[in-house]
Amino acid sequence: MREFKKVFIANRGEIACRAIRPMRELGIKAVVGYSDCDELSLHVRLADEAVRLGPSPANMSYLDIDAVVRAAKDTGCEAVFPGYGFLAENPDFVEACEEAGLVFIGPPASVMRMLGDKIEARRAFVASGVPVVPAIEDVRSSQDVKDFGKKVGYPIIIKAAAGGGGKGMRKVLSEEEVEDACEGARSVAKKSFGDDRIYAEKFIKGGRHIEFQFLVDAKDNAIHLGERECSIQRHHQKLIEEAPSNYLTAHQRKEIGNMVTRAMSEIGYVSAGTMEFLFDDEGSYYALEVNARIQVEHTVTEMISGIDIIRKMIRIAAGEPLRMFQEDVILRGHAIQCRINAEDPKKNFAPSFGKITFLRQVSGPFVRTESGIYQGWTVPAYYDSLISKICAVGKDRETAIQRMKRALLEYELWGIKTTIHLLESILDHPDFAGGKITTSFIEDNIENLTDYIDEEEEVFKIAHLIAEVSAEGKNPHAF
Amino acid sequence: MYGKNRDVDPKKVIKDLRESGKKYLTSTGPRDTGQSDYKNRITMFDLRKLAPVYNRTGYFSVELHGGARFHQDLLNNKISPFEEVMEWRHLMPDVLTQTLIRATNVWGYRMYPRNVIEMAVKSFVPYIDVWRCFDFLNYIPNMTPIAEVVLREGKIFQPAISFTESPECTDEYYLSVVDEIVRLSGGHDSIILCIKDMAGVGSPKRIHRLVSAILDSYPDMVVQYHRHSTDALAIPAIAEAAKAGAILFDTTDDAFSRFYGHPPVRPLASYLKELGFDVVLDTDAADEASDVIRKFMRSYDSFESPYKGFSYDVKQHRMPGGAFPSSFEQAEKGGFLDLMPSILKGMSYGNRIIKYFDVTPGSQITWTTWAGLIQRFNKEEGAQGLTKLFASLIRYFDNGEDFDSLDDEDAQRLLRMYSHATDDLKNLLLGRYGPLPFGWPDDWVYRSVFGENFKEIIDRERIEASPLDLLSQENLEAARASCDRDIERHATDEEFVLYLMHPKATVDFIKFREHYGFTDLLPTPVWLHGLQKPGDRVHFRMENKPHVIELVSVGEGVKGVKQVILSVDNVMHVFEVEMPDMVPQKIIRKARPGVPGEVPSPVKGTVWRIGSKDRQLNEGDLVKKGEEIMNIEVMKTENAIKAPLSGLIKEVCVSLNENVEEAQLLIVIEEEKGG
Repeated sequence: MREFKKVFIANRGEIACRAIRPMRELGIKAVVGYSDCDELSLHVRLADEAVRLGPSPANMSYLDIDAVVRAAKDTGCEAVFPGYGFLAENPDFVEACEEAGLVFIGPPASVMRMLGDKIEARRAFVASGVPVVPAIEDVRSSQDVKDFGKKVGYPIIIKAAAGGGGKGMRKVLSEEEVEDACEGARSVAKKSFGDDRIYAEKFIKGGRHIEFQFLVDAKDNAIHLGERECSIQRHHQKLIEEAPSNYLTAHQRKEIGNMVTRAMSEIGYVSAGTMEFLFDDEGSYYALEVNARIQVEHTVTEMISGIDIIRKMIRIAAGEPLRMFQEDVILRGHAIQCRINAEDPKKNFAPSFGKITFLRQVSGPFVRTESGIYQGWTVPAYYDSLISKICAVGKDRETAIQRMKRALLEYELWGIKTTIHLLESILDHPDFAGGKITTSFIEDNIENLTDYIDEEEEVFKIAHLIAEVSAEGKNPHAF
Repeated sequence: MYGKNRDVDPKKVIKDLRESGKKYLTSTGPRDTGQSDYKNRITMFDLRKLAPVYNRTGYFSVELHGGARFHQDLLNNKISPFEEVMEWRHLMPDVLTQTLIRATNVWGYRMYPRNVIEMAVKSFVPYIDVWRCFDFLNYIPNMTPIAEVVLREGKIFQPAISFTESPECTDEYYLSVVDEIVRLSGGHDSIILCIKDMAGVGSPKRIHRLVSAILDSYPDMVVQYHRHSTDALAIPAIAEAAKAGAILFDTTDDAFSRFYGHPPVRPLASYLKELGFDVVLDTDAADEASDVIRKFMRSYDSFESPYKGFSYDVKQHRMPGGAFPSSFEQAEKGGFLDLMPSILKGMSYGNRIIKYFDVTPGSQITWTTWAGLIQRFNKEEGAQGLTKLFASLIRYFDNGEDFDSLDDEDAQRLLRMYSHATDDLKNLLLGRYGPLPFGWPDDWVYRSVFGENFKEIIDRERIEASPLDLLSQENLEAARASCDRDIERHATDEEFVLYLMHPKATVDFIKFREHYGFTDLLPTPVWLHGLQKPGDRVHFRMENKPHVIELVSVGEGVKGVKQVILSVDNVMHVFEVEMPDMVPQKIIRKARPGVPGEVPSPVKGTVWRIGSKDRQLNEGDLVKKGEEIMNIEVMKTENAIKAPLSGLIKEVCVSLNENVEEAQLLIVIEEEKGG
């Protein structure tokens, strides 16, 4: 094993800021890259060193493998932490790092490549005895999908064969919609992942999205840290995540957890990862995919396990063994995470970028905030809309929800629209409190959930007037 | 202190007033004085300080609502008249609250049907104790719906007779009006009769005679005299009214009193006391009120008319209250200040030709008619034209108002007078406000207004009956729907009442309130002029917490935008203030809602494709309903814009890679004909 002195973080926003912290704790210098519009972003301010990667569009900066590898090498880094999104699950990037003599903090390229391909991944799951959703792995023509539809029934989900995160994912309700959906998914797949292959699977009704976090070291020691409930989603992107899921019994947790760790050891996975499952309303479950990276919602697992997952990833990458067994993993209490996105739920989640004119983030007992923002910063239009995450933990779900409501109430962010009010509405919804949640919860309740009054603070409204009157020296409304 | 028990029986109040042997005062400071001398701009922020002091003065009532203040509150003070009256009730529990309502015009500027009048009156009944109601034609049927609601709801009805001095305005005439009022009110034991001398023209002797005449006929009538100061004889006139037996008088605070409002309270009260009357007034409290006023009065300097001073010639031109000085301001603004003497002279002839009372809306009709008429004659024929006009008018009056005996030149000149009559004047002459108090004017006036076929128009259109009876009820549901549409949400009942009175001003006010919040918390100087220099700060309480806003800096102004930095509760904020005068604004064309061919952008983003993956689109192309016609990218998400209808692309309003705003017009499609 070795000790890293300097690590490059190939990301931005909240996850880059999050990753800087354990590096500091371990005495590692953190270097970040930035695009032009990110010059003044928080990850640049927090890091020990920052290197320009290129212009603002991601494909010219954060997605530019050469630029990222060069930046890491030029600054004398020994390893690269990819975060999520951008190059995090790109095996070409992993290989480029390895070729440049940089340690990639994540799984090996070959494993990532295999897991990144839905079809190959499915085969590996089946080989390890992991159940999967009925699907056609490589859609050659829309006719394939129509035939499949006849066999398993609608709705059907169509998505990019490469990549994840719900990008380009489409729900098809009937045969007539197949053509459009295939075409749209192909276009997005090509645009986002440079690979236009698409994939179709049966839509699981009453689906709950539950995922297992696991850690595997280079010596094939594998543990899991329990599951996360990620059913609250909008446009197939998660908004609220919890750990544990109130849907699983202790027995299921153990059984599925062991299945996951066994399968991951078998395929040679190293580092942290997540296996996603869909649970139908009869209790059957199907593996969807493995996310071969840190996930946005890793915080809830950390809060109930006491394990810093990114810190573990760095140590595993440095060749350190896990030094713990499954029985050492003790999950306590209940954690919940809310994602604050720069978007307007009232307008079908249209992105809302612009200057943050006022920000008061939250803390207080058992509340954690991970963000990449500060007051006066302008949210750029080029990247993902996630700007901040709040995590609350309590002895049980109810306590965690109470703390989260308190935190959301205290969170003040002006200048752009965010999901804060929507999140408050969700937490107040009786079905959420009762644990009756599915992936279509937001869609089903959107009218109620967005029926909040979206107003500026009263004092800020009056400040607007004072500013206008002071600029003119005379109140145009009064004269 | 009549306010102490607000569910007091009006009959008992009237009886007490009559039997106490004392004289009582109504303060008009917040409303009529504010209107006459300060253009209704006195803010609730300042009045809030005055209300608790008024509460100790012993005033019978305070006029704090109605008249033009209602409109001005929405327009410029940016406060709801409902909020104001509720606050007054709370801060001044021991004094009665009073409004001024313009018969069928209520608090607006048009004639409302019965159901609107009833709804508006009912909505304010919980907050207003004394309802002073006048009609500019003294046409009492116009007061009916108001009298009914007010009397039924147990509030004090105060019908007012519009007063002026003219040969027709005899005691007999006024008594006939009083008779009608008594009939309308079912007697006179639950009303206060007001003599509304809104221009301040009644000579002391004339007023004495009128009050005596009324009390001769109705010895138990409680009479209030409302008197403006314009001719500088208000105090002696009130004294004569008191001697003749009137019990209540309108007054204002010493510090509020100017020239066109009401006489000052302390001199008035002490003079009445010297004459041996027992006047109900706590003089210490009255002095304290003036002290409070002096502290804020300088804020309103810019709303006071530069045309100060009494005007004894009001007896001829008869312009009421603040209409007199503001007519000079309008003339100055319009560049015809030099014509003011002619306009006033013209008005003194005009009110002998078409006879009504110069108070809203009559005073506005008089002003627009004569300001227009004199300017027109001046433009066409110069000063000589005006001289000739007045000479013709003098000849007309000298020969006993016999139009037919005038020579042709005089007759033609008179016929030109009203040839540009406004719709309001036409409506007045057609009886749409009610019958004129002293009969319709001579035929030549109709000929001047309506042209040669005037007789036909008179026969067909002039109403002799009560216009209220002919007015059909407002469709309240439809009005409510249009209100909701205008303010883009459900209106509260109160908002709807405001909307019925002043639709546009109400919509503007509601939008202002949504944008800027409760601005009546700001001290008046800050409200009117903002924070003046860096370091200036304003403290206020809002939502039960203290707040401080401090001016840090105001930028120079670049490209039409000034950067203003404020410290809001100790946090710096930069506000970009667009200076409309500094630069022409980029105009974004928005798709009009409800026009299906105009396709709006659903989001703020970038146009990255015009057409679909398979087909690039240009103007003149045919598209099918549902076909993708454009794609907007926002944060890596594609937003397909689909054709809302089949047709021809008439216009592509944006270009490739253009950044578009939400609702911006993208494409115009002309619907396919036939199919």
